[in-house]
Amino acid sequence: MERRRFIAFALTPSLIVLFAVAVLPAIYLIVTSLTPFQLTTPGSATDFSDPFRNYALLPGDPRFVNSLAVQAKLSVASVLFQVLLGMLLALLLNVPSRFVEFARTFFLIPMVLPPIVVAVIWKLIYAPDISPLYYAAQALHFTLPALTSSVDFALTAIIIADTWEWLPFTFLMVLAALQTIPDEYSEAALVDGASKLQIFWYVTLPFITPILVISGMFRLIDSVKAFPLIFLLTGGGPGTVTEVTNYYAYLLAFDTNEIGYSSAVTVVMLLLVCGISLGLVWMGRRKEALA
Amino acid sequence: MSESSFRKATPGRLVAITVTLLILLSPFLWLLQMSFKTNDQILQFPPPLIFTPTLENYISLWHSAFSASFVNSLLSASLSTALALLFGVPAAYALSRWAGRGKHALSFAILVTRMAPPIAFTIPFFLFYRWIGLLDTITGLVLVYTSFNLPLVIWMMQPFFDTIPVSLEEAALVDGARTRTVFTKIVLPMVTPGIAATAILCFLYAWNDFFFALILTRTNARTAPVAVVNFMNYEGWEWGKIAAGGSLVMAPVLIFSLAVRRYLVSGLTAGAVKG
Repeated sequence: MERRRFIAFALTPSLIVLFAVAVLPAIYLIVTSLTPFQLTTPGSATDFSDPFRNYALLPGDPRFVNSLAVQAKLSVASVLFQVLLGMLLALLLNVPSRFVEFARTFFLIPMVLPPIVVAVIWKLIYAPDISPLYYAAQALHFTLPALTSSVDFALTAIIIADTWEWLPFTFLMVLAALQTIPDEYSEAALVDGASKLQIFWYVTLPFITPILVISGMFRLIDSVKAFPLIFLLTGGGPGTVTEVTNYYAYLLAFDTNEIGYSSAVTVVMLLLVCGISLGLVWMGRRKEALA
Repeated sequence: MSESSFRKATPGRLVAITVTLLILLSPFLWLLQMSFKTNDQILQFPPPLIFTPTLENYISLWHSAFSASFVNSLLSASLSTALALLFGVPAAYALSRWAGRGKHALSFAILVTRMAPPIAFTIPFFLFYRWIGLLDTITGLVLVYTSFNLPLVIWMMQPFFDTIPVSLEEAALVDGARTRTVFTKIVLPMVTPGIAATAILCFLYAWNDFFFALILTRTNARTAPVAVVNFMNYEGWEWGKIAAGGSLVMAPVLIFSLAVRRYLVSGLTAGAVKG
């Protein structure tokens, strides 16, 4: 009895804190999303006369619709690149060697750097007057366009930077999965005369498919949060070419003061993230059931 | 044969690994070398690869408002780490030992609070802080950082407690010890490495934050990541200072993350917050 009381006592403070700092803000966000709240308009925070006005406006808001499309492009492209390149890197580094083990640590650097430092690094790489990229192009007598201010390249520039930043994550996950594959399998296939490509396709890939999917899902959930890169490199521009939903919500609330409307955009975004997260849990369960 | 004959560290492979590493890290190395150059050297074409390194940029940062923002970062990150551990470690123990129904649902609910995009918290926090006067204060930052570090602590510490056999505790309980004593005297010392790793990850998450600090601070509580960006907006494009500031912001991260490399994945998958 004393033990059960202790367990309850150990858990309760955290639950109270989490309720106060996570559940209450979420409720408050939903409440403000039902109002035309603007800091400069007195009484707007408590005006519930037309609660679903913000949500009704969303489908007809070209910037919101565009932001979803930009988000989809950014997320799909960067997740695909990260999973693919992460896998290739993991295959390359999956060798038993002291040197390689030592080197692995350095491959993780981009992921652990503060996101704003990553953004500064890429700001530098994309700055024509001092960038090594532009120096190299110049030396080869090749003219690079201004990547971050070009309608055609700005989103690609963000995708490249985001891929660089999070590639180590998928690499780390895939490498962990690769190391659980017993060598006997590939050796047996090798003895049977299978080519390296065949071994990869029929032995390695089935083993790592679950982890490829899971790490991709994690990256997908997180790709919604790519803020510093967009903030520093393009500011959502040129025009709205790189304006993802997260950034649009930020501009609405803290630039144009449309707090109520921004809350509605954020609520929709939250629902999308929750949907993906639930899908992830469901897949995790299914994987456990299979194992 | 104990050594695998299939995966081999051939010389060709080692060269490929080294080249890949250099390409991957070159953007990062470029920033680092630039922090030791004068502005003239930075603008030179072709860029001098061999130059006399100068500490000029770092020295001028030391004498600027940047040092205060560095202290703000240190303070808010360490205080929020301490708070998150204080609340989270007992909670993780409780969840680990609690066999009741709803345990998984509760663990998942705790994790979900971390998966939400930061903007979902910024709007309510901003309005609330504005109302009670916590905008631009370290207290305000500590509170919001604790809100995303607490789920991380609970999520990361639980497996550590899971590895400690309950029979060990039961033996002590039979001998008449109180649960509280068992927890502080027997269980806690056994999970010290886990606490250390968790603490470092919490510190890093708070230290790396840009989004919350950008919105919830102005000048008094401005953190180092925001200060670096301010070099771009107001003082022109002083690339030397920007590079030095960036290098200083990433220094603790690089040191600490090497220390907790083994726990990075579990820490990151607990819903990375990159605002």
